[in-house]
Amino acid sequence: MKRYTQITDASRPASDVSPWKSAGTLDLACVGYGLIVVVAVLVSYVLGVFAWLPYDPEHISFGLLNAPPGSAGHLLGTDFLGRDILSRLIVATQAYFLPGLVAIAISLVAGTALGALAGYRGGGVEVLATYFNNLVDSFPRLVLILLVIAVFRVDIYYIMIIVGVTGVPVVASLVAGKIAFLRQKHFIEAAHVLGLPAHVIVLKHILWYHCAPLLVIRATIGMGEVILIETSLSYLGFGVQEPTPSWGNMVQAGANYFFQGKFWPSTAPALAILFTILGFHLLGDGLNGILEDRSGK
Amino acid sequence: MKLSALKPVALVLSRELALTALLLLGVSLVVFVILFLAPGDPFSVLLEGQMPSHEARAGVREALGIPTTWYGQYFAWLGNLLRGNFGTSIRTGLPVFGEIVRVGASTLYLTLGSMLVTLLIAVPIALHASVRGATPFNRPFTLLAYVVSALPVFWLGYVAIYLVSRQLGVFPLVSQASAPTERAWLYSLLPICVLGLGNGTVSEVVRYVREELSRVMAEDYIRTARAKGASVWRHAFREGLLIPMTEIVASKIPFILGGAVIVEQVFNWPGMGRMAWQAAQDRDFPAIMGIAMVAATLVRTGSLLQRVVYVAVNPRASQQQRGGGWAE
Repeated sequence: MKRYTQITDASRPASDVSPWKSAGTLDLACVGYGLIVVVAVLVSYVLGVFAWLPYDPEHISFGLLNAPPGSAGHLLGTDFLGRDILSRLIVATQAYFLPGLVAIAISLVAGTALGALAGYRGGGVEVLATYFNNLVDSFPRLVLILLVIAVFRVDIYYIMIIVGVTGVPVVASLVAGKIAFLRQKHFIEAAHVLGLPAHVIVLKHILWYHCAPLLVIRATIGMGEVILIETSLSYLGFGVQEPTPSWGNMVQAGANYFFQGKFWPSTAPALAILFTILGFHLLGDGLNGILEDRSGK
Repeated sequence: MKLSALKPVALVLSRELALTALLLLGVSLVVFVILFLAPGDPFSVLLEGQMPSHEARAGVREALGIPTTWYGQYFAWLGNLLRGNFGTSIRTGLPVFGEIVRVGASTLYLTLGSMLVTLLIAVPIALHASVRGATPFNRPFTLLAYVVSALPVFWLGYVAIYLVSRQLGVFPLVSQASAPTERAWLYSLLPICVLGLGNGTVSEVVRYVREELSRVMAEDYIRTARAKGASVWRHAFREGLLIPMTEIVASKIPFILGGAVIVEQVFNWPGMGRMAWQAAQDRDFPAIMGIAMVAATLVRTGSLLQRVVYVAVNPRASQQQRGGGWAE
């Protein structure tokens, strides 16, 4: 879980220059790479849903086992059962894409509500939110998920509800920190003086105008976490089951061949995980550098 | 440290202890609620084939002395937990607590070792980056830390096993009977290194330590120390390195424990993570419940230790309120 501390620097110059114009090259490069990954994931998802694939991902051909990348029309080669790896990688995005969006939606909506209450009202709600925060942090996520799997034998959507709920405190603390910082600002004071009701100030002036970048950043990093959890679970055998591909169970299924020196069936999905998670993390960090702590640089 | 200085420290620590107890109570409640909501109940098994009427169920409950209300059940269950009675494992039939203690040591060995590995990798990078600033030399290392953090740890485990067993000719002890080959101890270090590298926290440790250290190095008292020729390190070490390191490690314990589940699976390491996996596979409620409780206790203990270090290093903290709580 990543936590960014809000920079409480009141002397930050109020510039009208777009943050994108003054952004550092490194941040822009991170965001660029991240956006490429996001587009790749989106395109893969759509291709998978409509089954516009080079090959049937579950078609077994014994004539072409462990083909290296680029052979006989199989762009990324075939696995130990002769199944096209590229098609399987594309279809496997379905394993985390929609469940991940569910988890992110839950943590953003509930986290924003809790954070806004805690940050704006303070007092008892804040104490309660802090307690909830520490409580959720007490469990290793994977252990909690395994507990729920053992008790309820649930599918991925229910698991993602747990991921979403355990993601709530991070969002709540970010939003609460942001609100605590904004509350001292003159424009909020002015809104109070003008007699605007609290819900307008919180929803429009604070959340809508000033928390959107924060939530977008959180969502991208959340997607990285979701992919990590989904691939870990399907690696452990609790998520998507063979022959339906997921990046995690593809790595697992290729393990025996890996130790015989046939690295590719395990390595291809592992690289997909690496580049995708890296993309979401860099996108989040790059956006954070550009939109949130401009004064830091 | 004078005795008068010790009193506020003790005060803070007792508050932290109370907070930890309160949180563990919450943890037990969460676990209980999950178990309480589990579909089916043991009475259906006991009354199998007897046309279980409502009265029959109530009768069995009473005969077994089981409280009827949920809070009655909760307190009975909590009392058992506090006495170290975690129930018996459905799979092995052994008491869960003893089993966890037996495998817990190897998990502690694994996780503590991997924390050390993470720090050994991350802290030098952070030190270099914060002292020298961004140079062409350390930028690749920062990027490397990101890449390492995104690597799936199970694949990293495969690579490590392959390299060590195939290329270096070091093999694990398959059984007690097989003669220990030379350098076999190397193999036991392997999961530790893999978890240390691949628990996904390296880049965050680098960033956190770098930012905190840079902040401290910019403080006035460091400038004064530098101006009068005193050792900058002696002045910066506590606040700039020791506190951030303990803070980030304490907050990452859940991740390292979660990573241990996977690494233990990859390496067939007989620890709590593997036990958790097995329990989830077999729907062994008591075992996974016990592991969740023990893991949460470990996390809270780590965070308590971090507070102890913090207060011991910085007694001024005892006069302040705990910083809002969000900072954790």
